[in-house]
Amino acid sequence: MLKYVLQRVLFMLVALFLVSLFTFFLINSVPGGPFENPAIRPEVRLAMERRFHLDQPLIVQFGHFLRGIVTFDFGISLIVQPSRDITDILMERFPITIVLNLLSNFILVPVGFFLGSLAALKRNRFGDHAISALVVVFISVPGFVLASLMQYFLAFRLGWFPLVFSTSQNWDWDRFYSMILPVLALSFGGIAFITRFLRGELTETLNSDYMLLAKTKGLRTGQAIFRHALRNSLIPVMGMLVGIFVGILGGSIVVEEIFAIPGMGRIMINALLSHDYPLVMTTTVMYTAIALVARLLIDLSYSIVDPRVVVGGGKSAS
Amino acid sequence: MHHNNNAELIKNYTFTEDDFKFHEKSDVIADVAPENPPVGFFKDAMIRFSKNKASMVALFMLVFIIVMAIFGPMMGDFHFREQNVQWDRLPPRIPFLENLGIFDGTSTVTVQVANMPNWEHVYIETVRTFYQTAGARTVAMAEIRIDAYANVGAEDIYFWFGSDMLGRDLWTRLWRGARVSLMMAAIAVLINLTIGVIYGAVAAYYGKKTDLIMLNIMEIFSAVPTLIVVILIATRLGTSMWSLIGALTFSGWIGMANMMRAQFYRHKGQEYVMAARIMGASDKRLIFRYILPNAIGPTITQVAVAIPVFMMTEAFLSYLGLGIQAPEPSVGVLLSQGQEMLLTNPHAVFFPALVISLLMLSFQMMSNGLRDAFDPTLRGH
Repeated sequence: MLKYVLQRVLFMLVALFLVSLFTFFLINSVPGGPFENPAIRPEVRLAMERRFHLDQPLIVQFGHFLRGIVTFDFGISLIVQPSRDITDILMERFPITIVLNLLSNFILVPVGFFLGSLAALKRNRFGDHAISALVVVFISVPGFVLASLMQYFLAFRLGWFPLVFSTSQNWDWDRFYSMILPVLALSFGGIAFITRFLRGELTETLNSDYMLLAKTKGLRTGQAIFRHALRNSLIPVMGMLVGIFVGILGGSIVVEEIFAIPGMGRIMINALLSHDYPLVMTTTVMYTAIALVARLLIDLSYSIVDPRVVVGGGKSAS
Repeated sequence: MHHNNNAELIKNYTFTEDDFKFHEKSDVIADVAPENPPVGFFKDAMIRFSKNKASMVALFMLVFIIVMAIFGPMMGDFHFREQNVQWDRLPPRIPFLENLGIFDGTSTVTVQVANMPNWEHVYIETVRTFYQTAGARTVAMAEIRIDAYANVGAEDIYFWFGSDMLGRDLWTRLWRGARVSLMMAAIAVLINLTIGVIYGAVAAYYGKKTDLIMLNIMEIFSAVPTLIVVILIATRLGTSMWSLIGALTFSGWIGMANMMRAQFYRHKGQEYVMAARIMGASDKRLIFRYILPNAIGPTITQVAVAIPVFMMTEAFLSYLGLGIQAPEPSVGVLLSQGQEMLLTNPHAVFFPALVISLLMLSFQMMSNGLRDAFDPTLRGH
């Protein structure tokens, strides 16, 4: 197992390297450049390009980028927020996106667990059917559509919430208040997934022999569910959470657009469109690293969930 | 049924001398051939699918949307890119329904009470009046309902689902967009399915080094941010349908491959595979003839869900301004354009949202039916 993990981590670093190499050549193969703008005089452009090593061969540029990444000196943004330290930009933008993400997770985990167990306990009764209908709606209506609808009905028509993200610069109540709708929009999908999954898991578990044993031993239904059944379902849900986390990281780009939230979304798109190479590369490496680590965790969780699955085993798994 | 018949037959059978004769070597001894035609795997799956009510409803809903996507654009009086800028942002107005007070082409505007005579010709009713303080002045304001169509001199025009900011008919554009979106998603999913199934099957079947290498290639593909790929393709090839399909398939097959891989890991160690291998089945035969039919169920389910998910991805890209090239609409483009006038004309978001949600719903329900239909352990039930 340990050998397998070490192998995977090693491959992960290789993958990270290859992805950044791939992305680097990909963005450089798009015609145009950061300073190719009629408003910039040719001699200024040449000077700028020399300053940022853009006049050197691509492979040398990639070397500069790698050295920067390894020493955590990401350089400065060229166009999006000219000459500002990329570390600064990330420190300002990334927390907003990540807080949005974490708040959604804080909501979707307990709600998903609650609804899932409730549906399993009330199987085939009214509560179960109501929850199933809710899950279908949450899965069927895309998050950004729900975001638009909530923005129109809850914020505009009823005026319960602010229309867009608060302009406040601090982490105060105004800001959190204006985060409620985006956070909700981001959590519906996760709630639906966890509820549906947990319901399936629990209904199977509730009929299993060890639950019968637990009840025979004299445990109350609640005890049996919390100590035995839920504990068993926890691990696969943990695996799902990682996927949900990464999914929300991507999905928040549009929700950020809708609610005008100054998170990573706009920065990434603008960086890509304006050929802001250092910014694009840094965000790419960061997001890729997050996705790779998450994927490794999911893969490892497979064999924890079901010990019969031998990850990486041969043709005739033993 | 069959067993009962046999028992009945035996009970009422009178034995004769002939029944107790020795068989000669030349006699042919064989079972009676089955009376019913053979039921293949897919035929059996279809039979079980059609017995599931929810998935049949979903199928009808889906067929309805597809039929509308084909014929809807021809029903209206407008072409999907016909612009009537003087008739922009009109609310929905449908013949007959307008008499019931819904979709009647009215909209609410807020005006100063003093200016109300200017609205005389289109005025219908006053919703509410209130006072607004602007600086030192307090002005009497009124929210009035007006006939938006008369207001722009379009009394005889009917935009069934309203019009957009360029005065284009949203009914025509919506169905035209549904057609484009569905086609794009279906083609992308087909490509992904083919690549993903073969890739995942091979990776998991051979395992060990092969799996590790193939898994890592997969990781690299999936780790390249889709956004970068899309923007690259868009700037290089333009945002045509095919370049968007390219963007959707670049890393889209990975989900299918992963699913197939997990399924193959589950199946390849099972007894029936071992038995077939002992009997001398080749790798190719084991993969495609033995394991694939057992393992493909969840992937088929995935296909049905993947189509609306791809439509969502496409809508997602449209929100970022990377949707399909104007004037061609797609559900995503309509949603993102509607978002811009959400506060004044919510219908522009509402109808595309309804279509994409219904599609998602019916695909979801259908995928449940398909999952049961393709579960080999439920055969014959």
